[in-house]
Amino acid sequence: MKTDFRYMEHHSQVRVIATIVLVLLSSSALFAADNSPQVTLDASKAGPRSVEVLTQRAIVRDYKFAWTNLDAALESNSASPLNGLFAGTANDWLRQAVSSQQRSGIISRYLNQRHKLDAIFYAPAGDVIELHDTAEYDFEIHDGGKTIHNDHAIVHYVVLMTPGADRWVVRQLQAVPQF
Amino acid sequence: MSSSINTACKSHKVHGALVAGVFICLAMVAVAQEAPLHVPSNAVAGQAASIATTGGGSATFYLVGPSISFKQDVELGQNIDLTAKELQTSGDYVAVLCTGTCSSARFFVVPGKAAALTFLVHPSRAPVGLNDVINGVAFPFDQFHNLVLAPATVQFELTAKGSAPTSRRVQTHDGIAWFRTSSGKSAGALQISASLSDLVARRVVQQVASDPCNLRIKGQRTAKGILVETEPVRDCSGNPVPDGTIVTFTAKDGHEVSFVDAPVKQDIARATMVAKGPVVVSAASGVATGNELRLGGKE
Repeated sequence: MKTDFRYMEHHSQVRVIATIVLVLLSSSALFAADNSPQVTLDASKAGPRSVEVLTQRAIVRDYKFAWTNLDAALESNSASPLNGLFAGTANDWLRQAVSSQQRSGIISRYLNQRHKLDAIFYAPAGDVIELHDTAEYDFEIHDGGKTIHNDHAIVHYVVLMTPGADRWVVRQLQAVPQF
Repeated sequence: MSSSINTACKSHKVHGALVAGVFICLAMVAVAQEAPLHVPSNAVAGQAASIATTGGGSATFYLVGPSISFKQDVELGQNIDLTAKELQTSGDYVAVLCTGTCSSARFFVVPGKAAALTFLVHPSRAPVGLNDVINGVAFPFDQFHNLVLAPATVQFELTAKGSAPTSRRVQTHDGIAWFRTSSGKSAGALQISASLSDLVARRVVQQVASDPCNLRIKGQRTAKGILVETEPVRDCSGNPVPDGTIVTFTAKDGHEVSFVDAPVKQDIARATMVAKGPVVVSAASGVATGNELRLGGKE
């Protein structure tokens, strides 16, 4: 009888711990969901070719994915998250950024991202699109675990994307003072 | 354009009396203000620039840009020289100066002058006589692959054999100039160039015959059956259609119908069909149909 009581007590402890773990996991999952970039696209002013709805969805999906991985690459100082999402000049620049961060021991973060995209040019052949991104994020720079800079930045990017085999890739990601 | 913030002050937690906390915060701001950064306001990609500092003592300087990050020890009160190589990439840079606390400022590097022209032209082969079928897009880049966003005039020139060259000048908007045009009447190479100052990019579009038009056939009986062939197959502008264009011959022999697909070879499509009795032969290619040819039965 005494043994049974101990078993029950142990069982209830396990349940409490499991509940806490579940709550923590679900809250971290929610936190992760909140932390992913928010991307909206307005293609109403794009020309000369109109951007089809499916194309708009693909661009939003891939641009969001690109920024998620850009942050991951610069946080982890590893270029592998950039694979397949960036091409050409944008790919070269980001890889240089990662390797120079590795050398200097700096880490940078792009947190709480919000991107408001406006498609301003979609080529007649559909092989390139130019976007204006009004990006808003918390930008942090860390050196050896110490935060040396953080600010809430609003940055304007001129973006060139081209269609790949199964996704749109970022070819140019160039910040400008204003559009 | 540029902002200066004190991160240590932001993260400071006031644990004691409010007045003491405010005092400490103000003191940190004051320290930070003693070592402000004066970042360049007109930095151009590939050109050296310098950041002025004030105050005294040593500090750590950080620069984080689109393709570069580094840190170095500096002496306050002296200029921090940024080399042309460190500022090759156009975009947003953050300069940070840390002593006890850190001060930071943002600045932009703008693209240099155009040094290369990327020119996309579609399609590589275009049928003649089609409206708005050829298009081209030009992007000016500086020598470091920064997209040049300042307005510039690109001249597109189209030259086809046997016709006068045509040109049009288009100003770039947001780093892009483009054109769209119809294909000509004659098959052959269409040379297209885009030029900006002394930069020239050339592409070629092969204009090919459009669909066949006005098929004419002739035929005769042979020992094996009937031999039918077209007259030279041309499009409606008179251009010979490319080899390999398929012509379908149809032979009606009473209630029996037989078909033969024959490719155009050197402007003419030929086929031998088996038929004993009187037959009616016709030909079609694309949407064009030819004349009917009646041949008597084999004796």
